[in-house]
This record gives sequence, structure tokens and C-alpha cells, in this order.
Amino acid sequence: MTFEDQNLAKKAAKGDLEAFARLVRGHSGLVYRLATRILGVDEAQDASQEVWIRVWRNLPKFRGDSAFSTWIYKITVNTCLSTRRKEQAREAREFGEEPPYIPAVPNVENDPETAALAGERREELFRALERVRAEHRAALILRHMEGLSYAEVAQILDVPDGTAKGWVSRGRAALLVALSKESGEGRSR
Amino acid sequence: MAPKEWEVLERIGAYAASELSPEEAREVERMILEDPDASRLAESYLRMLALLGAVGEEPQEVPQAVIDYAIRRVTISAFFRQAEWFFAGIGRAYVDAFVHYLDLRDPGPAARGI
Repeated sequence: MTFEDQNLAKKAAKGDLEAFARLVRGHSGLVYRLATRILGVDEAQDASQEVWIRVWRNLPKFRGDSAFSTWIYKITVNTCLSTRRKEQAREAREFGEEPPYIPAVPNVENDPETAALAGERREELFRALERVRAEHRAALILRHMEGLSYAEVAQILDVPDGTAKGWVSRGRAALLVALSKESGEGRSR
Repeated sequence: MAPKEWEVLERIGAYAASELSPEEAREVERMILEDPDASRLAESYLRMLALLGAVGEEPQEVPQAVIDYAIRRVTISAFFRQAEWFFAGIGRAYVDAFVHYLDLRDPGPAARGI
């Protein structure tokens, strides 16, 4: 797939629209999935379209030094993060509050009403993710939902490996705190 | 939350994600055995990571409209790019013709006798 992608990317960079359409069809799943996880469903559609416009504009600069999918990951994350820059105020809140008690996140697997509760947990997870600082959230999603290595996370986020590790770690902790609040709020609703 | 508490929270998270060295992991295990809060946190982390992994594996269908719209927008963008090149080419040709017509072209150093 990678070799084919590189060929399609070269053709698309020269203006071949059919090659570009094949790239879109082949990678739109990755772009949309990642945008949904970082931004949520409501904004994922616009962000995905913005990603493909950016891909089209930047294709002549794609040299094939990294896998095409890594390059797509990078553009998607950057697009989502620039959408989220407006959220800066939220970041201060993330570490400014005092969460004195962190209740256990309910166990999904052992729950008797698994199907309904799994959906509920999923909703809670996405709401909690919104509370995590954008860069940390992106790093966390790439590592624990996309299953990428730290080297890949670092390459996509354009930061040193140590920073990527730190962001994932901080994101994990912030998500746990946010998730416990979501669970608590959910129970009190 | 105090920086120290974040540090502990993050270390337990790294333990749950199996990212610590054996020595660091033993240290966290000791903490978990001695402190029920730390033990509870480790359990919460494990559940959260399992949830993240499970949601991460869920297939996600892309709305066809997203694909169609992206291709359409790029097609329009490509059309305008080509139109821009075309008109820029015509513009350059007109300027060249104008320069030639008015004999404004620099004849070069040889013709100037330099």
C-alpha cells in the first residue's frame, strides 16, 4: 500500500485528480476517525475536508521521507490542533482545579448491562477527552487509540520523543481525572 | 493538584501502561501494596486504558458526503489553479509581445558593444 500511495501521491502532486481521489478514498477513514477522536463528531466533518484541502496544497512538498499515512496523520493532527487553539482558556482550567478524590472508573467488561453501559462509557470517554489539553489529547489518542509507537507519535507531533512521552503521560492522568468527574457527574444526573 | 500529586498520578499511569523499567515498576508496586488509594488509581488506569483500546478498535464509517465533498472541493481548486496558470501564461505572452512591439527588450551587452 505504501509504494502505491507514494505513486499516487506523485501523480496527484502533478495535478492528477483521479490519483488524488484514490488517496482520499484510501485514507479518509484514518482522517475522519482521528478528527472525530480529537474534535468530536460535530467538528470532524469540516476538519476532514480541511485536511484534504491541505493535503492537496502540500502534495508537491511531500518527498516520501516518511510513510504517506504518517504524513496524513501529521496534517490531520495539525489541522485538528489549529481548530482547537481557541480552546486555550480551557487548558488553564485543566490543571488549575483541585480534584481531591478520584473514584474508580467503572469496569466495562464485567457489567451486566454491557451494551447499554458500554455506549454510556464511550460517551463519557469522549466528553472527558474534551477536557484534556489539545496537544496531550492528540498524543494520548495516537498512542492509546491508534496504537502508535512513541517514535511515531513524536514524528507526527513534530516534537522530541521525550516530549511525546510526557504529553501522553500528562494526557493519561488528565483523562483519568476528567473521566472520574464525568462518571461522578453522570451518576448524580 | 500539586505537582507532586501529578507526578505520582503519572507514574501509576505509566505503570498501568507497562512503560516503566523493572526497577521503577517494583517501586510503584510497593506503593500500590502499601497505599489503597494508589491501588485504586492503578485499577482505574487499567480500566481506562482498556476502554481507550476498545474504543480505538471500533470501526468508524466515514460519511460518503465527506469523501465526495473533499474530492469536489479539490477538483474546483485544481480548476482554478489551471485557470490561473492559463491566464498568467496569456498575460505573459501579451507582455512579451508588447515589449517586442515597442522594442523595449534589452539587446544584451554584446549588442550594446560592452
